[in-house]
Amino acid sequence: MIIRESKFSKFLTYTVLSLITLLTLLPLIWMLSASLKLDSEVFSLPIRWIPKNPQWKNYTVIWGKIPFGLFVWNTLKLTLVITVIQIATSSFAAYGFSKINFKGRDFLFFCYVTTIAIPWQVYMLPQYSLMNKFHLVDTHIGYVLLQSFTAFGVFLMRQFYLSIPNDLLEAAKIDGLNDYRIYFRIVLPLSKPSLATLTIFSFVTIWNDFMGPMIYFNTTNLKTIQLGIRMFIGQYSTEYGLIMAASVVALVPVFIIFLAFQRFFVQGIATSGLKG
Amino acid sequence: MKKQKLIAAVLITVLSCLLLAGCKGEGDSTKNSTPSNSKTESASEDAKTSGDTGQVTIKASVWDLDTSSASAKTMADTFMARNPDIKVDLIDIPSSEYTNKLSIMLNGNNDLDVFWIKDGDTIKAIESKGQLADLSSFINRQGLDLNVFNGLADSFTTDDGKVFALPVNSSFYVLFYNKDLFDAAGVAYPGNDMTWSDFENLASKLTSGEGADKKYGALLHTWQACVQNWAIQDGKHTILDSDYSFMKDSYEMALRMQNAGTIMDYATLKTGNIHYSSPFLQGNIAMMPMGTWFCSTLIDKIKAGESTVNWGMAVLPHPEGVEAGWTVGSVTPIAINASSKKQEAAWKFVDFVTSEEGALIQAQAGLVPSRISTDSMSFVAEAEGMPDNALEILTAVKKITLDRPIEEKTAEVNQMLGEVHSLIMLGEYSIDQGLAEMSERNKEIQGQ
Amino acid sequence: MKNSKAKGKGLSLGTKNLFLGLSFILPNFIGFFIFILIPVTFSLVLSFMKWDGFHSMEFIGIKNFIYIFKDRVFIGAIFKTVYYSAFTVLFTLVASLGLAVLLNNKLRGINFFRSSIFFPYVASIVAIAVVWNALFQKDFGPINSFLKMIGIANPPGWTASIHSVIPALIIVSIWRNMGYFMIVYLAALQDIPYSLYEAATIDGATKRQQFFRVTLPLLAPSTFFVLMMLTINSFKIFDLVYMMTEGGPGNASTMLSQYIYNQSFIAWNYGKASAAAMILFIVVGTITVLQFKVEKKWLSYM
Repeated sequence: MIIRESKFSKFLTYTVLSLITLLTLLPLIWMLSASLKLDSEVFSLPIRWIPKNPQWKNYTVIWGKIPFGLFVWNTLKLTLVITVIQIATSSFAAYGFSKINFKGRDFLFFCYVTTIAIPWQVYMLPQYSLMNKFHLVDTHIGYVLLQSFTAFGVFLMRQFYLSIPNDLLEAAKIDGLNDYRIYFRIVLPLSKPSLATLTIFSFVTIWNDFMGPMIYFNTTNLKTIQLGIRMFIGQYSTEYGLIMAASVVALVPVFIIFLAFQRFFVQGIATSGLKG
Repeated sequence: MKKQKLIAAVLITVLSCLLLAGCKGEGDSTKNSTPSNSKTESASEDAKTSGDTGQVTIKASVWDLDTSSASAKTMADTFMARNPDIKVDLIDIPSSEYTNKLSIMLNGNNDLDVFWIKDGDTIKAIESKGQLADLSSFINRQGLDLNVFNGLADSFTTDDGKVFALPVNSSFYVLFYNKDLFDAAGVAYPGNDMTWSDFENLASKLTSGEGADKKYGALLHTWQACVQNWAIQDGKHTILDSDYSFMKDSYEMALRMQNAGTIMDYATLKTGNIHYSSPFLQGNIAMMPMGTWFCSTLIDKIKAGESTVNWGMAVLPHPEGVEAGWTVGSVTPIAINASSKKQEAAWKFVDFVTSEEGALIQAQAGLVPSRISTDSMSFVAEAEGMPDNALEILTAVKKITLDRPIEEKTAEVNQMLGEVHSLIMLGEYSIDQGLAEMSERNKEIQGQ
Repeated sequence: MKNSKAKGKGLSLGTKNLFLGLSFILPNFIGFFIFILIPVTFSLVLSFMKWDGFHSMEFIGIKNFIYIFKDRVFIGAIFKTVYYSAFTVLFTLVASLGLAVLLNNKLRGINFFRSSIFFPYVASIVAIAVVWNALFQKDFGPINSFLKMIGIANPPGWTASIHSVIPALIIVSIWRNMGYFMIVYLAALQDIPYSLYEAATIDGATKRQQFFRVTLPLLAPSTFFVLMMLTINSFKIFDLVYMMTEGGPGNASTMLSQYIYNQSFIAWNYGKASAAAMILFIVVGTITVLQFKVEKKWLSYM
């Protein structure tokens, strides 16, 4: 949808957007400022937005105090692998759920959706017992298997595919394409924006997951960024400056991924459209 | 469609029944496994059958390995040097999630062998599930006298003589103070025989200033322990009592001080996430009752140049009619997983951790070991950066009442007390209302 | 869709479609079945059991349900969850749709705006909790300083008061989630074939008519998704509350998940925890079925 706007409405849009953006960013600016403070200054009141004596060393200390580099590498590896599996299998399944009419389909889909409703606290223990039986606790592969097949991705992709008009597929069928070809040749190219969305979501979810790695990883060599950040929270003292610095560092890769994939949202305008 | 649904439903039911059966079996069986490490597995079996050939690996869990439990690393290294046939793998878990992860590991039948227990209030629940190995046969075989732990081991012994854990270290409340603020106000440093009303009076003398530069006479941290502990200091009550009216004096004092502005406001501390160490390290607090663990934080921060506070230590103030030197504290135990296949090796490690030598290693790290001897205590007291009178204060302790008794429902009751505590301190409840609420909910928790 | 069903050739097509459909679904379903569906089903069975997580369990019928419905903390938790969810779902939905439409323009700096609004979702929850607690600080916090500046003499105590702790959490949730769901809408807007707008323009539809006649109906599947996810996420809200208030003051922000958490990890009553989760399951299950019905109707219009 492109709306060509008058100068006034353009000005209005900019003003509204700038205001919202400023409000949205305010807490993050505070985070940035806190990452340059000593622990004891972080909460000094009233809030000082610009640190008196910027502690740039917070950004160097985190790499030495814990194996943060290794954690970043682990997180990157896990996130990429899981995201790829999730994208591939869930968009494929979503096609089945949205474009093929077969018996029991709605029941299966109902199973998918309702599992999203169950809080992890309830099924964490049965899941752990299962993983323990498969000898998958404290391994990266176990975590990958656990996170790759979530109902969320299937649900998201199905909803997107529903809005692809069926006439398009019918036309392709008349042209002699079977469903697999339709999926690869027509639906996949059409759904770039939604695939980009799922990529971003899946990346962010795994990147920020704390509970999964906390429960499943014992060995320090396997741990992830979020576990690293909590290492600065001790039983009796918390190093807020370092937490903030590590959190800011953790933002960077996600930011890059976001910038890389969000162009698909714009591109969509040009590429998507009825073909054939 | 209907048939399909039926098949799917049956399939799911069957599979979950299988899983149910699997879990059922787990509780009492001790089948266990070491993922991806068959070498260790066979080694452990060797060790069991033919004595000490080959190396056994035991897994021990602990929290905050890099900070509060740094001594565990030294402990494991020294132990491995002494026992080359045993390898200790330390599993580091964030302290805030330690108890949860431990319970999931134990319930999920993970092959953990030894574990430190962080919140003493959960140990009884773990014990009553049968997840803790009975250590009494090891103790008897070795002729270990539990009296070396000054009574701290008593809470881990059942009536029928089972010993389910051994105390590793303990901590108790003392009074920390800022010497400079006392000097500035021209008031003598706190003595070692002070009542809580002396403390309150002293606090009002030491409060001065306004706004961001205000110096507070005292700080009571947001934990319920920092009010309720003074009510159980006499050893007559515990937090499990069904009637909480005995806490009234304590709460009255805390609220009086809060209204007078001689302590920092609860709401400010709580919502600002203000850790008690920050205002004390910045020199804004004259007195603070806190656990002995705070010593090492103070020493570290001053060494790192983040603070210049000139601090001292005194015996914890006591209620009227209670002897000076009675204080409140907690104990950190260590235990062996009942389903561990490597009990012998695990015991060797536990024995080492709680030994004389283990005590010295902890003392060097600033922890108060469970085996209190003048040797170990002087190690603690003479650590660099401790006040001159540290040894005197640390050995002045006559009785330590556990702030959280070793009972099954303690964790649940303590959680509830924390909730009501915040309502009283925020003024949402009057003291009487709050204490009544506590009693009522206590009955609900313990009644069933 | 209009005449595709008429082409069916009886049973063989049904069976063919079944295998075809399964072949698409299976790669994901196998993993989903083993690692998610089994544990989840197991936990639902647990709601009729008494289980401490370790020993063998005991079937006790609906006793767990009777217990939780007598527990005033649970009843309170339900009310608070509904209160929190109603506002969070409504405001986040509107905010994310509004932002998506606003940011679906070719404006200079659009990338910057989009990323800024998505950013809150990315930041680590530990940091977010610390930051917002400081912003909400009662006496010196920037939010209350601002409120005092514009003339509100007694600004709320936010997380320090039992009356305003949930509004505070709602604000943070909207802030955190609107960018996330904005992305869903943005992607969905892009998926709408441009030709439809062209056709509408040729038919003489105004911008407003286009929005209500073309955009909104075509956004329906995404809106269903957003609505479901928002409802589920707000009913399940845990991390944020756990980090920001731990359910306090008192239990003023103890919601359903926190209750479940306390039951499973502090009281070790897995049966009761599962019973409480069952409520969530029923709520979401009902909404799903209802939505399916609506969706079927909607699809038949296409």
